[in-house]
Amino acid sequence: MDPGCPPLICIRLFAGLREQAGWAERHWPLQKAGNGAALTPRDLWLALQLPGAFTNVRIAINQQFASADTPLHAGDELAFLPPISGG
Amino acid sequence: MHLQINLLAERLDPLHCLAQWHRMLTAECHSSHAAESMFIGRVRATDAEGQPLDALELEHYPGMTERQLQELAHVCCQRHGVSRCLIQHRIGRVLPGDAIVLVVIGADRRGPAQRCCQDVLEALKHDAPFWKREWRRDGGSSWLSGNTPL
Repeated sequence: MDPGCPPLICIRLFAGLREQAGWAERHWPLQKAGNGAALTPRDLWLALQLPGAFTNVRIAINQQFASADTPLHAGDELAFLPPISGG
Repeated sequence: MHLQINLLAERLDPLHCLAQWHRMLTAECHSSHAAESMFIGRVRATDAEGQPLDALELEHYPGMTERQLQELAHVCCQRHGVSRCLIQHRIGRVLPGDAIVLVVIGADRRGPAQRCCQDVLEALKHDAPFWKREWRRDGGSSWLSGNTPL
């Protein structure tokens, strides 16, 4: 990694959320929130201005369900998952 | 515990999969189970609005979906003291009448087999990252925002 560049996290969207947002994957610099706290999925949802209600999505970090306030780390894969409908 | 879980991009023939699973268990010298419970889910002929459906598209989260299915099946089998579970789940475009999912549980008794089969199915419907999109005959489509009632 270039020491001059901030570390990144990978953000992924799926299904209807991906189509509403118009993108599937983005890389985002891992910078602390304005108050100096670690960046969380909730912060990124707001920063990215993603469509729909945040309460309707589930969060996965590195392909495991996680809370919206989990601190993110360099290299994490964060996914916003719209309502699931399998089976 | 013996779990076999696959995502299939091609047509799912539930009875063929079941027979293959039985042959594999026999070949691996697993003793036969006394009770077996099975669920097959198929694509409806109509969409959520009651209009004729052209196809159902199933999207998943590669890597996470497989891992979640393994974990959910493991937890359900442990809870019910069940030792065998087969899950076959379609991805991609599935036509009305075709099978989407097959869940088979092998156990020593009917109670654990049936309860575990229902638990696995409900778990995968709510906690495995799959998304369904209904394609209508006019070329339009809609993503579903939840599951049908039990």
